[in-house]
Amino acid sequence: MSAAAPDGQWPRWEVFKQDAAGKPHQAVGSVHATDPEHALLMARSVFARRPAAVSLWVAPAGAVVAVTAEQLAAGDVPGGAPAGDGTGAAEARYLVFRKSSHRRAMTFVDHVGEVTAASAAAALAAARAAFPEPPALAWWLVPAASVTASPDAEAEAWFAPARGKTYKQQSEYAQLPQRRRKARTP
Amino acid sequence: MALDRDVADEPARLEDFEARIARGEKIEPGDWMPADYRRQLVRMISQHAHSEVVGMLPEGAWITRAPSLRRKLVLLAKVQDEGGHGQYLYHAAETLGVTREELLEALLQGRAKYSSVFNYPTLSWADVGMIGWLVDGAAIRNQLMLAQCSYGPYSRAMVRICAEETFHHEQGKQMIVAYASGTASQRAMAQDALERWWWPSLMMLGPHDSDSPNTPQLARWGIKTKTNDQVRQEFVDEHVPELQQAGLSIPDPELRFDAESGHWTHGPIDWDEFWRVVKGNGPLNAERLAARRKAHHDGRWVREAMAAYAAGPRGVG
Repeated sequence: MSAAAPDGQWPRWEVFKQDAAGKPHQAVGSVHATDPEHALLMARSVFARRPAAVSLWVAPAGAVVAVTAEQLAAGDVPGGAPAGDGTGAAEARYLVFRKSSHRRAMTFVDHVGEVTAASAAAALAAARAAFPEPPALAWWLVPAASVTASPDAEAEAWFAPARGKTYKQQSEYAQLPQRRRKARTP
Repeated sequence: MALDRDVADEPARLEDFEARIARGEKIEPGDWMPADYRRQLVRMISQHAHSEVVGMLPEGAWITRAPSLRRKLVLLAKVQDEGGHGQYLYHAAETLGVTREELLEALLQGRAKYSSVFNYPTLSWADVGMIGWLVDGAAIRNQLMLAQCSYGPYSRAMVRICAEETFHHEQGKQMIVAYASGTASQRAMAQDALERWWWPSLMMLGPHDSDSPNTPQLARWGIKTKTNDQVRQEFVDEHVPELQQAGLSIPDPELRFDAESGHWTHGPIDWDEFWRVVKGNGPLNAERLAARRKAHHDGRWVREAMAAYAAGPRGVG
């Protein structure tokens, strides 16, 4: 990937946010950035201005293989492009994400685990076999080698400041006082 | 018309698509969708993104003049949120096959629309509070409706934005309620702000249903689940009693509670003013666009530096 011309579009990166230890990383949206480190900083500003983040992952949008249930039903599955450095049938680790509910939400697919496969198509087949229930509405497969994580050792410095900014919380503001009608001139 | 061609070419797919929406399913990137559904979403989402970005300007002008450190922190956080909301929305638009760059270019060239309300001036500090209470209050009503939208990425952006904007609304309400029960000059400042922002806030929810030709199709495809007038009525019903309770006078002599319907009815909206502002001739259209262009121009060296760094030996190249 190359950085675009000065006023062009920086590459797009998909962002995954983890709200607490033990919870899955969830796809929250994307940012534009010149490199993974820049993408993580942009991701923190855009998606972690509030508490409830302990880790971020970013991956180049072009590395993500996305398939919906409708595409699968129509036989519209991704091709067999090899992962990693493109040297053919070498096996690579893929992180598996899926969406399983139409409920209203602020996140898209959730991280459920990983598979090892020689191509995106093989990874999708392995993911469908490994994580069959409940029926998935959308799958994302992300080569593990393309993912950059926020540094765990610096998680406090990255995410704790948002917790102290309580003035961003609705609960900080007193409700409208009850009726205290002043006498008004008729 | 694009819709007719789709109907002719893809009747079965359109039927399946509308059945999915009727079942309450979300349409996701990669799913089949009519060209008109995509076109309408790009139009709405990009206008919405531009509104968030331009919306930083009227209040941003008051950051350096906030009356206390706390109010400054609150306003900084609010304006930063609006910038973030613009980014969520550009992302949602990008899932439909457009780029953030082309959308921003349309804004900078004056070809793109954004919310009419941001073309009005912020003349006093109370305007910051009144924008939070009324403009964000109206936006939240609209965005709660759009959070039900059938297109997954737009719906998710709206859920996230509503969760954050609730604080914008509350801080504005709290500020105005405090001023409305304060000194005579504070009360006058709050009342003056209400008089200038009330009608623009009603207008920002869009033309009357009779002048919204897209609404029936947008409703059938689950993009809009309520009409402009329905959302406007919700806004009026929520805010009139609260403003009155705060001791402020709403500048509408025809405003009254209709016991039969259980709703507040308001006087006629000046749609000539609305269309004048939408078409670029509002009080500050030219200034807003000039400020956005200047910000883009002034940030150019940063973009160039980032690109040079990435292209160097250390970047991903």
